[in-house]
Amino acid sequence: MLNLIIFLPLLTGLLILALPASRPALLRWASLGGAGLTLLGSLWLWFSFDGRAGGIQSRTVTNWVPSIGASYDVGLSGLGLAIIVLTALLLTLVMVYVLSERERVKEHAFLFLLMGTGLIGLFSAQDLLLFYLFFEVALVPMYFIVGIWGGEGRRYAAMKFFLYTRAGSLAMLLSFLALYLGTPGTGGAAHSFSIAAVAAAQPYAGTTAAFWVMLGLLLGFGVKLPTFPLHNWLPDAHVEAPTEGSVMLAGAQLKMGAYGLLFILLPLMPQTVQRYAWLLAALGIISLVYGALAALAQRDLKRLIAYTSINHMGYVMLAAGIWGLTSNLAVRELTLNGAAFQMVSHGLLTGGMFFLVGILGHRAGTRNIDAFGGLMSLPRFAGLLGLLAFGSLGLPGLSGFVAEFQVIGATVGVNIWLAVLTVLGLLISTGLYLRVLAGVLMGQKPAELNIQDLNGRELWAIVPLAVLSLLLGILPAVLLEPLSNAVRSLAALGR
Amino acid sequence: MNCLDLWAIGPELALALTCLLLVPLAGLVRGKWRALPSIFAGFGMVVALFLNIQTLNFPQQAVFCGTYALDGFGSVFKLLIIGSALLALLPIAAYFHGRDAEPHAPVALMFAVLGGVALAGSLDLGLIVLFLQMLSTASYLLVSVTRGGKRANEATLKYFIYGAVALAVMAYGLSFLYGLTGSLSLSSIGAALGGADPVWVWVALTLILVGYAFEITAVPFHFWAPDVYAGASAPVTGFISVLPKIAGFAGLLRLLLIAFPNGLSGWPILIAVLAALTMLLGNLAALRQTRLKRLLAYSSIAQAGYVLMAVAVAGTVPGALSAAGYYLAAYAFMNLAAFTVVAQFERKSGQDQLTSLRGLSKTAPGTAALLTLALLSLAGIPPLAGFLGKVLLLQMALSGGLTWLAVFAALNMVLGLYYYLRPVVEMYLRSPEGETELHREPGYGWALGLTTFGTLLLGIWPAPALALLSGLARMLH
Repeated sequence: MLNLIIFLPLLTGLLILALPASRPALLRWASLGGAGLTLLGSLWLWFSFDGRAGGIQSRTVTNWVPSIGASYDVGLSGLGLAIIVLTALLLTLVMVYVLSERERVKEHAFLFLLMGTGLIGLFSAQDLLLFYLFFEVALVPMYFIVGIWGGEGRRYAAMKFFLYTRAGSLAMLLSFLALYLGTPGTGGAAHSFSIAAVAAAQPYAGTTAAFWVMLGLLLGFGVKLPTFPLHNWLPDAHVEAPTEGSVMLAGAQLKMGAYGLLFILLPLMPQTVQRYAWLLAALGIISLVYGALAALAQRDLKRLIAYTSINHMGYVMLAAGIWGLTSNLAVRELTLNGAAFQMVSHGLLTGGMFFLVGILGHRAGTRNIDAFGGLMSLPRFAGLLGLLAFGSLGLPGLSGFVAEFQVIGATVGVNIWLAVLTVLGLLISTGLYLRVLAGVLMGQKPAELNIQDLNGRELWAIVPLAVLSLLLGILPAVLLEPLSNAVRSLAALGR
Repeated sequence: MNCLDLWAIGPELALALTCLLLVPLAGLVRGKWRALPSIFAGFGMVVALFLNIQTLNFPQQAVFCGTYALDGFGSVFKLLIIGSALLALLPIAAYFHGRDAEPHAPVALMFAVLGGVALAGSLDLGLIVLFLQMLSTASYLLVSVTRGGKRANEATLKYFIYGAVALAVMAYGLSFLYGLTGSLSLSSIGAALGGADPVWVWVALTLILVGYAFEITAVPFHFWAPDVYAGASAPVTGFISVLPKIAGFAGLLRLLLIAFPNGLSGWPILIAVLAALTMLLGNLAALRQTRLKRLLAYSSIAQAGYVLMAVAVAGTVPGALSAAGYYLAAYAFMNLAAFTVVAQFERKSGQDQLTSLRGLSKTAPGTAALLTLALLSLAGIPPLAGFLGKVLLLQMALSGGLTWLAVFAALNMVLGLYYYLRPVVEMYLRSPEGETELHREPGYGWALGLTTFGTLLLGIWPAPALALLSGLARMLH
């Protein structure tokens, strides 16, 4: 089933390429159908996942490049599964959103579906080379999506996006190769790319080479996360990307880096991470505060939301640092749970925010926050924006609170000064979201601003995200339970 | 000792016979029969390919009094050379269809193939010079038959002069080897060279490398390539960017591993430096190109630099030969695919500006998609062949302790991405500015289909190809 879910989007995409271009409606419904089936399949995986058993489930292992010990090895961990469901959901909602728009339907649908295969494959890969393969397969379509359907500066933004992420991923590839060469292989091959085998071998532990290997991984994952100072591509890519591109970028692609940080870096090099934990924690704190401050300085709503991603994903980097700074199991579990929760929560909230901002920008012809006001008169839009913004600023009862509370709570237990800085970031971002709400919803509605409330199709695209955020805020156990085993085994590492 | 082992050179004989028949045939055909030599050449190569496959599992031995090798290394390289020549013949035949040069191009091509194939098997200094000359001369001819006009003539002249000088320098170096050891046979040289004066051995090696660096377009003997590539017709450029390179690598590897065993004269580090310079210069120069053929020319220089990484560690790391072979096969597929599209362009519009690709994704979506795949593969994006090839090469460099080179190569790949994306930007991210016309002939379609299939297959399911390429390690010593 997992294999089917990985390749279903790609197969749908190929089918769409084969269908006649003269019937765009058929193409759109076919792509929605493919994405929807993928979502159903991923939900089926979710409900058949045994949260108590832990480990890697639904595993398939076959030879891929036997002579160098790389295999097609996919399976589900608790966190991987959660992100796969999130990816499939966002992919489906994107298809709902574009159901009646966009030129060049064939290419559009194909690229999004190809990206879906890359992302789902990435979050289930248990082999480093396969992970890298899916990583790049997920990146390439985004280049075209930004470049073809983006705004004015799309070519520049697309190129910048691709060069940054590609430079990062090549650094990551070198580190993968170094890890591979440090791991004894099985069955004929001299070395192994298997994540489990590398984790068991712990190559380079305690050597100076380990720092460089870790740095390569940090560059790869850090660009994608994105963490300060590797974030520079993100605002451009987001601002130029079409709405649905921004949604996938923020909702699913940023999780590639976060996932790699928690589920590749920590288990493969726990000792090294512990040794340089202060570096990760510092990067996390800087991203968190810097992201919020930079967002505060923006007038363009889309750019503003883009910067808040740097703030939100900073918690994941901070969590990895806190994990390394302490060996207290309970604190480690708390911080990792928070980080994992943040990944899902950010996907829901920021995905929804980008939909709303995209719609607003499309209707009004501008995204400058000063051009808006008094949109309280649009009940659906105002309600959803309020809900998502309060979720993002960490209001209890919504998913963002559960995530950030856990990370900050763990930080308090480790270093009070780090925690103070975290709270500073939190305060800035609270002010930030309140300013967005005030600027867009309150005050006097400018006379020339005449826009419609959300239509049915748009509601279908956004409401599921808001509902899920609310659900996870009230019943976090829904997500925490499947995560628990994966998180527990990570927490116990390297002690 | 029986020195007339004709049975052992079936593929070479098939190629040679085809050559001999093609020469009069090309002179005789008129009108619509002018397509005949191409068909005939293709047929000869298919026969040679078939005979060569029979030799893949032969026990390794030296035939013709020890001057010619029959081993896995030779057989696999011959397979690569003949296979890529067949793929290159398709666009060449399509491009020249209905032109004066139509019967002559396949003749020159066949001689080049024969020279390349025989070079891969040569174990004797005399044969090496002979077949290298055959390969080069046929390549000069091929460039010259392509198109009248000043640029083609200039290109031929440049190619010829640089080639002649490089090969003369190399022959001079080879004569040093003879002087130092009193033998023309690579294996005797390898056995005797350890006792020779290291300074002279180093001088000999450096001089010999000039010739090979010319064939594989390694820095600093690459400077003929951009002008010649730009001057020749696009499908011919595709051919000379692939075949002499593969044959050159075969000859270089055989010479270094047999005549300079155990890294004699420090050739591994010399090659490593050559690799670094070649990829850097190729990539930097490619960044500024505005013409497709020049861009691909510099790209192919950079690609040669990547392969040299595996050559540098070929003596110490098992699997380095397979990695080099894999990369060359991948390179043949993706480069020929790119040049086939350029050929379709050039035949109609007579030029190859990057901007003429503008909006191709709308006017010819299929061709644009295939060219994009080829470029992404050259840039090393998975799951295409160029990706796994680069992984293998980087892995070889790291296993061989050349960490600096692997990091350097990775940085270069980032640089490379920039210019490989430029044609993609033109095709997909800009609107067409007028009619973009493509020359249409079935040969292009076949060439594009086969090369793309190869690029995808090598990337997604590499196990069979790698198993075949492991035969490269079987070499005579």
